[in-house]
Amino acid sequence: MPEKVLTKNFDMEHLFKIDVYMKKGGYKILSNVLKKLKPEDVLKEVKAAHLRGRGGAGFPAGVKWGFVPKEVDKPKYLCVNADEGEPGTFKDRYIMSHNPHMLLEGIVITCYCVGIHTAFIYIRGEYENIAQRLEKAISEAEEKGFAGKNILKTGFDLNIYVHRGAGAYICGEETALLESLEGKRGNPRLKPPFPAAIGLFQSPTVINNVETLSNIPHIMNKGADWFVKQGISEDGGTRIFGVSGKVKKPGIYELPIGTSLKELIFNHAGGMKSNKKLKAVIPGGMSSPILKPDEIDIPMDCESLMKADSMLGSGAVIVLDEDVPIIEVLRKITQFYSHESCGQCTPCRIGNSWIHKTVTRIYYGRGKKGDLDNIEKLASNMLGRTLCPLGDAAAMPILAVVKKFRKELEAELKGSGR
Amino acid sequence: MVEMFINDQPIKVKEGITVLKAAEKAGIHIPHICYHEAFPPEGNCRMCLVEIEGHLCLELACATQVKEGMKVYTDTENVIEARKGVLEFLLAEHPMDCPICDKAGECTLQDYYEEYGLFESSFQEEKERKDKKVNIGKGLILDQERCVLCTRCVRFLRDITKTNELGVFNRGVHSEIGVYDNQLIENNYAGNLVELCPVGAITDRDFRFKTRSWFLEKGASICPLCSRGCQIFIEYHPGFARFEVPKRVYRVTSRVTSREESQKEKGFWICDIGRYGYSYMDKDRAETIIQKEQDLSGDKEKTVKNIDKKIKKLIYRNKLERMGVILNSWLTNEELFLAKKIFAWDLKLKKVYFPEPAQGEKDDLLLAEDRTPNKKGAEEIGFSFDRINQEELFENTELLIVFWSSPFELGTISELTPPLNKVQTKILFTPFKRKWNDLFDMVIPTAVSAEKGGSFANCDGKIQHFGPVLSPPGEAQAEWKWLVSLGKEIGIDFKSYARMWSPLDVYKSIKDKIKFFRT
Repeated sequence: MPEKVLTKNFDMEHLFKIDVYMKKGGYKILSNVLKKLKPEDVLKEVKAAHLRGRGGAGFPAGVKWGFVPKEVDKPKYLCVNADEGEPGTFKDRYIMSHNPHMLLEGIVITCYCVGIHTAFIYIRGEYENIAQRLEKAISEAEEKGFAGKNILKTGFDLNIYVHRGAGAYICGEETALLESLEGKRGNPRLKPPFPAAIGLFQSPTVINNVETLSNIPHIMNKGADWFVKQGISEDGGTRIFGVSGKVKKPGIYELPIGTSLKELIFNHAGGMKSNKKLKAVIPGGMSSPILKPDEIDIPMDCESLMKADSMLGSGAVIVLDEDVPIIEVLRKITQFYSHESCGQCTPCRIGNSWIHKTVTRIYYGRGKKGDLDNIEKLASNMLGRTLCPLGDAAAMPILAVVKKFRKELEAELKGSGR
Repeated sequence: MVEMFINDQPIKVKEGITVLKAAEKAGIHIPHICYHEAFPPEGNCRMCLVEIEGHLCLELACATQVKEGMKVYTDTENVIEARKGVLEFLLAEHPMDCPICDKAGECTLQDYYEEYGLFESSFQEEKERKDKKVNIGKGLILDQERCVLCTRCVRFLRDITKTNELGVFNRGVHSEIGVYDNQLIENNYAGNLVELCPVGAITDRDFRFKTRSWFLEKGASICPLCSRGCQIFIEYHPGFARFEVPKRVYRVTSRVTSREESQKEKGFWICDIGRYGYSYMDKDRAETIIQKEQDLSGDKEKTVKNIDKKIKKLIYRNKLERMGVILNSWLTNEELFLAKKIFAWDLKLKKVYFPEPAQGEKDDLLLAEDRTPNKKGAEEIGFSFDRINQEELFENTELLIVFWSSPFELGTISELTPPLNKVQTKILFTPFKRKWNDLFDMVIPTAVSAEKGGSFANCDGKIQHFGPVLSPPGEAQAEWKWLVSLGKEIGIDFKSYARMWSPLDVYKSIKDKIKFFRT
């Protein structure tokens, strides 16, 4: 079994309490960093670790921090994206509920590195009890002097706030998250300017995923070289894969980046449920294009999946077996995106609803010749032409499903009698 | 300045402007729906996508700033396909009720389909049903089905009037514009929303179902309803051959393309008082010359001669001090100058009065305190404003000439009857039929500002010239024409008046005399 990094002590009782976390060596690195290292050293280390964002886009975290201007007369902010809305994804909730202090430690180090004194954790509205646990953890950390005013008597201040979302998928998009945090309707902003320059309350802002930030204490603890070695591929570290669907042991699996998808499903997750045949795998949350069984012998890292025209996304693996009708999958995808489109820009607003209407018609056996071509045309009209990545996130899986399962869908056109 | 290329055509443009603006300079129109010069780019319609060399995806022309050596293509296959795609999306959920839509003929969506679309729709699903006539206040009706969610209206109320009455509600394809908790729009600039709306989603009761936009012709004029002097278009129906149309003027729209840089946020708009206050142009107009002594109707020459005769009588009796004139700041600079010249300089009258111009409340944006168009001009020509001293004016006055071009009342009949009865001969120049016209011995019909040429000086001291858009009804003609004829007839300075064939000729004389008008 490969070494676990983030989920190492997850089976310990009461790890979410600060005493237990500290007993396991927690917050030691923080005091090392604050007392001995300069912010530049931290940035250098994180850049060297090849830590890519764990939220979906896979943007290198160190580079992102580097974009924030050093000398500004405005306050800078950190927003922790804990909106975990991608269907199939359930990794951040485990981190936050089992080991909230690891996240907080990561937040404090990050803020120290970028020079931030206010951090917001934008948490998915449904995670009510986790939000409470986080708030408890923050007050514990403040009591012990790991957060709040004058952290560890080094003169560094950081206030951490928990902000609960109201249940919109689009608010996981970084600029929509900022709008929502400002108290407005969660609509994405036009980029550029990027949040690193003009973000929350018109100030420079860093936005990172929970899992990304949770890696920071470990990088600072054991060094960038060690971290890079944790991954099989070029990217540093491990990934927490959330496996769901028709497997024997669904759940979260922390594995080195670059572990093969086949190994993940058949070795770690115990293989197919009731020994059915594998039909398809969605490798990185619903917005990642679907893979057929002959494509799953692939290392789970950003580059390899990109080459296979898919993406690692949030690392949520959804496994489908032979019993799953593909039209049902397609309908769920289109339903989700047409429901979650914010309605701001034309292609996403109308494209998604149009495709969903057509797919629903096919689902109920009223498909027509040419429907599939039309779906492909509409999806490619959305691809790359929307205001935010949601349009792409919707178009890509739809295009992949139609392309890879065209025969089965064409049979549906003739009417399945549902 | 940076040099860039649009469709391989080199162009030098200012640094920092957008691709859309640069293309406009090069004479290439990039279609856009949500973008409006008055607001920062929003980027939600996706119509203005263009190809930029070296960029992976198509970029927004409205939001991308130009760079040295940038190569932009607005007509590649990819761009054309993207445009068609966006149009197809927009039209898929559009109700296509153009035949009953008031915007038809001047609708952005219609125009773009003609120019960039022309495809068969592949939409075979059911369209979303939304509310088609929502009252959003101030006589505005919102049709949520026609709406393309460009959010120009929301941004106007947020950024310009700062009243925030409209917002976007719901998500995805169910998104719609609406008012908050039935708090209706209540500001003096709401009418701009109708013009701002690229489609027929916001229409006003004033214009709704009255005519079709393609029947209308428009002419440039200046709004006379306050001293701001906004540039306007007067849109009128030239009439049908076989049947009468109920009115001439159907609407007034903004002609302001931009104001000075310092007043940029005030650009493009006109207020509702100016927009909806046009009914005076057609309602209760005085059309015939009325004279109690003898019927002179139709003969303008005889009318002028008759007035001249009355003035001459006073001159011969050496009793010119018994003549009075009342002027007003609705008159153009040319007319005021002519009046000044005839009555104050030629005839050397003492009783030339100028009542204090009407005032109202001003607001932060455009509406000015003075509710007449030419107070500044009157001041510069040398009139001072007084409360009329009734005793001085009406006692011992034999001839009184009143110029009244305002659509508002001069006074009530009971107020006006006693003083006017003291005067022997009373002549009224007015464009309107009012009850108190009967108190005068002669009523001479004149033109409103939309029917004459001339100039006004606005509250900022800017002189704006304008020409006639409509022709005056019946026997009416502009005051400057009456005054020039009268000046000629009196004959004290015949030569100068004989040269004045147009307001511009008059303006030349003004420039010679008064420094203010030389700029």
